[in-house]
Amino acid sequence: MIRQNPMEGILQEAAVLENRYVRKWRHGGGMVVGYTCVATPVEILEAEGVLPYRVRALGAPDTEVADAHLSRFNCSFCRSCLHLGLTGAYDFLDGMIETNGCDHLRGMIENWNYVKDFTFFHYLKVPHIVDQDSMSFFEEELRLYKEAVEKRFGKTLTEEDLWEQIRTQDRIRENLHKIYQLREQENPAVTGAEALMIFLLATAIPSRDLEPILEKIVEDRKDHAFAGVRARLLLGGAATDEIDFVKEIESLGAMVVTDTLCYGARAFRPRPAGNTERDPINVLARAYLGELLCPRMFGDFQSRERFLFDAVKRAKVDGVVLVHNKFCDIHGVDNVALRMSLEKAGIPVLQIEKEYGAKADLGRMRTRFQAFLERIEERHG
Amino acid sequence: MFAGIDVGSLTAEALVIHEGRIVGSEIISVLPNPVDSARVVMDALLSRKGLTWKDLKYTISTGYGREKIQHYGLAQETLSEISCHGSGAHTLDPEVRTIIDIGGQDAKVIKLDAKGGLDDFVMNNKCAAGTGHFLEAMSRALGVGLEDLGPLAMKAKKPIAMSNRCTIYVETEVIHYLQRGASRQDVAGGITMAMADRVVALARRIGPKNKIMITGGVAKNKAVKAALEKALGVKIAYPSLDPQLIGAYGAAVYAARKGGST
Amino acid sequence: MVKKSAGLFNRLSSRLILVDLLPAPVVAKAGPFLASLKVGPPEIHSALAGLFSPQAGEAAAPFIKMIAKWVVNARKAAGRGKKVILVPFNFPTELIHAFESAEPLTSEVLSTLAASCLVGQGEEYWDMAMAMGMPDHLCSANTIELGSMLGCKDFSPQAIISSAPGGCDVNAKMHEFVAHHLDIPHFFLQKPPDDTGRGRKQYGVYLKSLIKKLEAFLGEALREDKLRSVLEKANRCTELHYELFDLQKAVPCPVPNIFSLFLYGTRFTMWGTDEGIKTLEAMVQVSKRRLAEKAYPARREVARCVWAYTSYYWDFLGFFNWMEEQGYSHLGDGLDLYFPSPVDTSTMDSMIEGLAGSAWNMPMTRQVGAESMSKAWTEDMIYAAKNLKADCVIYCGHHSCKQTWSVVSILRSELQRRLGIPLLILQGDSWIKRMTPISVLQQEIDEFVKNVVLNKSRPKRSIKKRRQKKLEAQAAS
Repeated sequence: MIRQNPMEGILQEAAVLENRYVRKWRHGGGMVVGYTCVATPVEILEAEGVLPYRVRALGAPDTEVADAHLSRFNCSFCRSCLHLGLTGAYDFLDGMIETNGCDHLRGMIENWNYVKDFTFFHYLKVPHIVDQDSMSFFEEELRLYKEAVEKRFGKTLTEEDLWEQIRTQDRIRENLHKIYQLREQENPAVTGAEALMIFLLATAIPSRDLEPILEKIVEDRKDHAFAGVRARLLLGGAATDEIDFVKEIESLGAMVVTDTLCYGARAFRPRPAGNTERDPINVLARAYLGELLCPRMFGDFQSRERFLFDAVKRAKVDGVVLVHNKFCDIHGVDNVALRMSLEKAGIPVLQIEKEYGAKADLGRMRTRFQAFLERIEERHG
Repeated sequence: MFAGIDVGSLTAEALVIHEGRIVGSEIISVLPNPVDSARVVMDALLSRKGLTWKDLKYTISTGYGREKIQHYGLAQETLSEISCHGSGAHTLDPEVRTIIDIGGQDAKVIKLDAKGGLDDFVMNNKCAAGTGHFLEAMSRALGVGLEDLGPLAMKAKKPIAMSNRCTIYVETEVIHYLQRGASRQDVAGGITMAMADRVVALARRIGPKNKIMITGGVAKNKAVKAALEKALGVKIAYPSLDPQLIGAYGAAVYAARKGGST
Repeated sequence: MVKKSAGLFNRLSSRLILVDLLPAPVVAKAGPFLASLKVGPPEIHSALAGLFSPQAGEAAAPFIKMIAKWVVNARKAAGRGKKVILVPFNFPTELIHAFESAEPLTSEVLSTLAASCLVGQGEEYWDMAMAMGMPDHLCSANTIELGSMLGCKDFSPQAIISSAPGGCDVNAKMHEFVAHHLDIPHFFLQKPPDDTGRGRKQYGVYLKSLIKKLEAFLGEALREDKLRSVLEKANRCTELHYELFDLQKAVPCPVPNIFSLFLYGTRFTMWGTDEGIKTLEAMVQVSKRRLAEKAYPARREVARCVWAYTSYYWDFLGFFNWMEEQGYSHLGDGLDLYFPSPVDTSTMDSMIEGLAGSAWNMPMTRQVGAESMSKAWTEDMIYAAKNLKADCVIYCGHHSCKQTWSVVSILRSELQRRLGIPLLILQGDSWIKRMTPISVLQQEIDEFVKNVVLNKSRPKRSIKKRRQKKLEAQAAS
C-alpha cells in the first residue's frame, strides 16, 4: 500500500502547466522558452538566463482545436500539446526551440507556428546517426542555437557561463540519479508516479529552485520504504507524461521501479565529466547526441537494448511494460524488437499500444496490466 | 462452496463449485450497474439451488466492473478475465494451450503453458470487427436473426470473400452482393470467413499452439468455429461447458484454489 | 499451424522471368490479349487491363519488360557474383547501377507490384508483419515487402540502404527492424532538415561517406567511367521526364493517367539504364501521338487533378482508368515531383555532387524531409498545379503518412489562398484495399469534381449579362 506522500505540495506543481515557479519567474521579468525533445541542451538557455520548459500535455484529453490542423492519424500526445498551445495554455512561453524529434513533433510545431507564430523560434537540427560527420554537424548546430539565443535575449555567452550550467545540470542529473536509486532499491522509497512527477517538475522550473527540491527529496526518502509490492516493473516506450497512467499500473499493487522513458531515465543519463580544457559546446554535443537513446536514432539499437537490460538487471525487475502511443511508429516498431529480445531472455513483457490521454483507454489497459501481474505472480509460484 | 462471477458487456454469469464439481450456473443479460448484475445473477443461482451467500466460502469476480463488485463485498478478490478463461479452459481440458475467446464486444487469445499458467495473451477491445458485435451488424444487414447466421453460413457453397476489414464497409459489401443476386448462404459464409480472418490475425500475434479451445458467446456459432479451423488448419476444441460460462468457471476454480478446496 | 505462403519476391520473380525472356512485341500482344480474357481473380484483371490499356499503348510492354529485367537481375544476382541491395524509393538507384557487383531492389515498388499484380494483393505479407506485433499504423508501402521478408522463406537482400532518416520515421524504422531481425548489413543516408547550403553540403558529406562504405562492403571501388555511363543515361531520362512534364501542360492532357505510375516506377528502379530510357521514350511517343490526334479517353476533359502525394495501387482499372473515363486527368502525384537535373559528368567530384543533388530532390526527401514540410510541399504543389493548369488537388490520405497528414491542413489553406483551387482530402490505404473500397473513393472524387471543382470553374454571370443572353436567345428564336 502506498503511504501518504509528504512531497504532495511540491509535486502538485508538476501536474499543472504554468506552475507557481514559472509564474514567479515571469513575474520577476524572466523569459521562458519551450522545447520538445531531450536532445535540446538546456544549458544554453539557462546560461542566457532563460527558463527552459519541456513541453508536455499531462494527459490532457482535449484535441478538437488541434484536430483542425493536425490529423487524427497523428500522435495524440502532439495533438494534445498543440491544442493546449492554440487555446492559450502555453501563452506563458516566450519562444520555442524545435527539434526534429519525430515526424509528429515536426508537424505539431509547424502548425503551431503557422497559426500562432512564436515570438522567438529556433530549429535545432539533430542528426539521426552518431558518427564523426553527424557530430561535427551537431556541434555547429549548437553554435547556431547559441547565437540565436544570444541574439534574441541579448547576452553573449562565455565559455565559463556554459561550464557553470554544465556543472549545474550535472548536479541535477546526479540528484535525479540518486532518486532513481531510491526507486530501484529492494524496498522502493519512491513510486513510479512520484518519479514521473519529479521529472516533470525538473523540466519546468528554474535550476536554482530545482536543486534544493531534489536534495530535499533525496534526504526525505533515504529511510523510506514501500513494502508489499506485488511486482517490480520497468516502464519503457513512448513519450509518457501521463501521471495517471503510471498511477493506474501502481494501483494494482505493482511498482514501476524504473523506466526507459524520455520523460524519465533517458533524459538524464550520467554523462562524461566536463573537461574544462575542451570546448563546452563540444562537451554538450557529445552528451546530447552521443548519449541520445531514442528510437529516432539509427544504427544504435544495441545501445537502447543494453540500456533496457541494464535497468532490468539493476532494478531486479519482474516484468517490463513497453508502451507506445497510437501512431507512434518509432516506438511502435522499436518496442517489437525490444520485446523479442526480452522474450528471448525469458523476461516477461507486456507490449501495448494506447491512446494518449484517453480515460476510456485506462479501463482497457487495466485488464491487461492485471493479467500481466497475474502472469508474473504465477511465474514466481 | 466457491464461486465465480463474470460480468461482461452483454451478459453476466455466476457459477458455484463444490469439491471440484459444478453445483450450478446462471446467465443473465447485464443491468446498467455491474454490481447489480453480479447480485442479481448470483441471487438467481443461489435461490435456484437453495443456497445463500453465506454458503460461499470464497468468491472471485472478473470481467467489467470486477473491482466494484469486490468493493461492494460480493467477492473477496478480483482476477482478470484472461486468467479466468485460461484457468477455466485448462481445468476442463488440461491439453488446452490456446484459448480463443470471442465475446460480444471484444476478442482475446490466450496462451497457456503446460501447467495451465498464463504464457501470453492479446486482446482486441477497440475494433468491432472480430467480435460478436460484427456478427450482429452483419446478421441485421442479411435480414436474419443472430442465432440463424451460423446455420445459414454452414450451407454456403461458395462463400464470398469480403475485401474490407472495417465493419461499416463489410456491411456495404453484404448489401452489394445481395443486390447482385448472391445467395444469402454464400454471403453468410463470407461474413464468417471475414470474422475468422480478423480473429486469426489477432491470434497470430502470439503464435497459437495446439490444442486450441474456443470460448465466449460467439463459440456457439458453428460456422465461425469451422471458419477458424479452416484458417488455422487445425481442429478447435469445444468446451464441455457452455462456452459463455468459462470465465465464471475459471474464477470459481481460482476461488477454490485460493480459498482452500476440500 | 498457420499456413505458410511463398514469398512475395519469389512469386513475383517467378512470373516475371517469363516476361523477361519473351521479346517485347510478344509481350505487347500477349498483355492486352490476357487482359481481354478476364480470367483469374479481379485484381489480376485490373492490373493487366490497367497496364495494357489502350491509353498506355506501346509504353506498356517496355515498362513491364523493364520491371521484369529489374526483378530478374536481382533474382540472378547471386549466380552472377553480385549482391542485391534493398533501398527505399527515395534513394537514387543509379548509384547502385553504377557498381558492377550490385543490383538494386526497391521495397515500395515490390509492394506496389504485389498490391496490383499478385493474387491476394500482398495482404498476407502485411498480416505476417502484424503477426509479429507490428502496429497497424505502419506504412503498407514497405511493410508488404518487408513483411514477406520477415514472415516467409523469401529472398533476402545482402544489404539495406535506408535514405529515410530525416524524411520518414516509419519507413526508416521498418527497414531498420528488418535489417536487425535478419542480421543484414544496414547503411544510411540521413537527410538534415536544413534547406540552406550548409544542409546541402552536409548531405554531400553523408553521401560520400555512404559511397565509401558501399565500396568496402562490395569490395569494389566506384569507377568513374561506369558512373559516367550510368549518369549520362540518367541525364537522358531527365530530358524525357521534362518532355513528359511539358506534354502534360496541354489541354486536354495527352499523357495517360497511368503514366504517373510508369514515370516514378522508372525513377525508382531503372533510372540511368537502357530499359529506363526505352520506357520513357515510349511514354513520350504515346503522349505526343495523343496530342497530335487530340485524342482523349472521355468525351471531354472535365477536371485536371494533381495528386498531392501517392495514388492508389490496388486497382488500376478502378483508379487510373476510371478517372480517365470520367474525364478526370491525373496529372501526376507527389512521387513524380523529384525535379531531376542533368548531372555534370565531367569529373568524379561533379558526378558525386550531382548524385547528391538527385538524392536531395527525391520525392519525400525533398518535400517532407525539408526544414519546413508544409512550405516545401506547398511550393511543389503550387508549382505543379500552376504549370500543369490543374483545377484541383487531391490528397489520397494514405493513413500511414504522418508527415503529410500533419501539414495537409496548411497545404489546403495555401492552395486556396494562393491559387484559389480546392483540395480534396481522402482517407485510405494506397497499397491495401481493406481500408476504403474503391467505390467509396470514386464516389468522393466524383462528388468533389461535380460539386466543388466544376462550380469553382463556372464563371459567375452578372445580372446584365444574364439579361443580354436572354435577349439574344429571344432574338434567335
